[in-house]
Amino acid sequence: MTQYILRRLLLMIPVAFLVTVGIFVLVRLAPGDPVLAYLGEEKDPVSIAAVRREFGLDQPLPVQYVAWLSHALRGDLGRSFHTKQPVIEAITERLPATFELGAAAILISVTLALLVGTLSAVKRNSAVDLLTSSVTLMGVSFPNFFLALLLILLFSYVVPGRIFPPGGYVPLTQDVADNLRRLVLPAVTLATASLAVNLRQVRSSLIDAFGQDYIRTARAKGLAERPVIFRHALKNALIPVVTIIGIQTGAIIEGAFITETIFFWPGVGRLAVQAIPSGDYPIVQGVVLVSALSFMLSTLVVDVLYAFLDPRISYGSARS
Amino acid sequence: MTVPSRVLALIGPLALLVAACGPAAPSGGVAPTAGATGAPAAATAADKPLRGGTLTFSINADITDMDPMRSRLFVDRNLMYQMYDSLVRIDAKGQIIPWLAEKWTVSDDGKTYTFSLRKDVKFHDGSPFDAEAVKFNLDRASKTEGSARRGELTPVDSVSVVDASTVKVALKSPFAPFLSLLVDRAGMMVSRKVVEAAGADFTRKAFKAGTGPFILTEAVKDSHYTFEKNADWWYKAPNGDKLPYLDKVVVKPISDGDVRLTNIRTGQVHATNTITGKDVPVVKADPTLLYKEIGAYSWDSLIPNRTKGFVFEEPRYIKAVSMAIDRQEILEKGPAQGVGVVAWGPIAPSHFAFDAGFKPFAKGDPAGAKKLVTDVGKGPLKFELLVSSGNAATLQLAQLIQSQLAKADITADIKTMLFNDIVTLQGQKKHPGMTLIGWSGRIDPDGNFYDHVRTGGPNNDSAYSNTQVDDLLDQQRAATTEAKRTELLRKAQQIFVVDDPARVWFSFGVAQLLMTREVQGVEPYPDQLPRLHTGWLKK
Repeated sequence: MTQYILRRLLLMIPVAFLVTVGIFVLVRLAPGDPVLAYLGEEKDPVSIAAVRREFGLDQPLPVQYVAWLSHALRGDLGRSFHTKQPVIEAITERLPATFELGAAAILISVTLALLVGTLSAVKRNSAVDLLTSSVTLMGVSFPNFFLALLLILLFSYVVPGRIFPPGGYVPLTQDVADNLRRLVLPAVTLATASLAVNLRQVRSSLIDAFGQDYIRTARAKGLAERPVIFRHALKNALIPVVTIIGIQTGAIIEGAFITETIFFWPGVGRLAVQAIPSGDYPIVQGVVLVSALSFMLSTLVVDVLYAFLDPRISYGSARS
Repeated sequence: MTVPSRVLALIGPLALLVAACGPAAPSGGVAPTAGATGAPAAATAADKPLRGGTLTFSINADITDMDPMRSRLFVDRNLMYQMYDSLVRIDAKGQIIPWLAEKWTVSDDGKTYTFSLRKDVKFHDGSPFDAEAVKFNLDRASKTEGSARRGELTPVDSVSVVDASTVKVALKSPFAPFLSLLVDRAGMMVSRKVVEAAGADFTRKAFKAGTGPFILTEAVKDSHYTFEKNADWWYKAPNGDKLPYLDKVVVKPISDGDVRLTNIRTGQVHATNTITGKDVPVVKADPTLLYKEIGAYSWDSLIPNRTKGFVFEEPRYIKAVSMAIDRQEILEKGPAQGVGVVAWGPIAPSHFAFDAGFKPFAKGDPAGAKKLVTDVGKGPLKFELLVSSGNAATLQLAQLIQSQLAKADITADIKTMLFNDIVTLQGQKKHPGMTLIGWSGRIDPDGNFYDHVRTGGPNNDSAYSNTQVDDLLDQQRAATTEAKRTELLRKAQQIFVVDDPARVWFSFGVAQLLMTREVQGVEPYPDQLPRLHTGWLKK
């Protein structure tokens, strides 16, 4: 297993390299001149030339790339064109907010998916199943920004007591209660889309499992329904669910782009949303790189988890 | 286990219900908050200002730079007006008034300005504000590589210290709008000690850098900025009260207009200066809120490309577009919903040179426009209208213009693009037809169009060139009286709007302020920036 993990970690190097080439080129392929975006209303030819030089954009693309990569390898992703903040600092100071939001969303999504998905699978084609199916469909169909606004309006004007404020962030370290109050709406918004996917996955995996011989055997030997579901069916149905959750964990950063913007949640997603249209290349490159690395790491964790969930899975040599 | 599904089942229909009736009839759905009195009549001018409290103000985007020398975004200035003082300021009518400079004299040839500075001013870090500080700041702004103020301070030749409280600025040639530049970022004073200690971080950590009414004490990007009262501030209210009244100001960037409004209506935020047109009737009808607006310097325009080989190389086509549109209808039925003022040219109502009688195309004249296009003799006029994507209001505006032009048989093909892409394209003078882009406005009329119509000007995106206009614009810069400048500016405006059009101006913006009824003493200024030093909170 250790060998497998090491091999996967080593494989990440060429992948990360390809990712860096990809983002570097893609960011620059997008039309629009970051220098003009930066200069705004004060754009005279002298400033344009000076800023282009300052940003290093007067160099040929390969030179720019090598310069960026050599700094990146030393842990320096450059400075934001606009705020001049070091990219690493800009990302790390926003990571706690993004992780808190992402973790809360996944927690909500997974808990509900397991509870409701199991119920739907057990009571297949019943009214409950139908209802969850339709609500699920709505969850997938509602764009995040729309659901976010609905929740804000709902808790501001309809539900009395204004328990959940319409956006904003207070660090957990500063005020736990206020932090949690502000976390609920964005976390629910973010959870909804993945909830639908997770719930359907739990339901269909369980239904698959129910059709397996070992379940029939378990029932035939007189086992009560509860242990049949939880001890036998659910555990075996979890493998595809873990895969999806793993992917969602890796995708926390990009998943939160819109939600963070609407709820003015100071996370990495909001940072990227501001950087993309203004052509703040160092920030965009940094966020995509960190996001890609977290994605690769989370898939590795998922693969390792498989072996624990299902002892039949083992990882062999490179030949396999 | 049934609980979650029940909750989910409830949220769906309820959410739809809110979507259906929430924004359309908002005042009906508002539960009264503890802070809101709901009694507009209760707020009278006779109320004695109360001291203390924290006012939360929302801006519509996060700032990028706190350094007045580097700042390039309008939104940055919302913060700067709380923490920095400038040499001169404007009053609510746009007149220049003394500020850190108590008085000044201008030499007869208009080339030397001598400023007498206040002697009772200190920076937040304790360092003294004097002539040396002014020299440091003006030199820094006009000479530093990468300074965003270099362009506007080009007329400055040298700055010299006469004595501790007198500073002399020599200009290369007479430049009438000079004082107006010192109202804003070019005239804002920062502490040398703080700037040098902070280095590259000054752009986002300008703590204790100003002399203004509030001291920046905390900056959390994308979340909030906290200011504490400067107890030693020099400025006093007309009634002799020491200012500011407020203990603290918190500024929060909230980019979504609906969320910003909801934050005000639920008492999370006290005030904002950006309200979308569709929400204005709603907030005006809301007894818990107070909405104020005055005319601003900003304008909106259609920018043609007059470069050879492009459609609008033919100036009569630009005039045809200008004639065909109905500006009143654009203002009232467009996304502005009546919030704003009809514009014929770039000189705004708050400018001294404004001409209320200048209405060259008084009403939409599709027949006249059609005739003009026929006179050109090259068949029907068809062009591409580039519109910034991701903004429903801008698209709606473009569609309204498109429908008005259709009445004159002019076809505008709307194409959406990222704002940055449009700016790039028009900067290279490669936009095929017209673009739809505005200007945030300047205090002096010169700043509202010199760079946009002067041959080779940095913002001359329509590639306009008219020697007569160039001459008139240069002459007004050298003129010493407002009367003379007014005459020359108006002459130029007649040419670049009507006779040989550079652009199609159609509306001026307004300076807005939306506040809860608790907030008192804050008024809108034509530059659209909040002055919170006179504000106070009613209990």
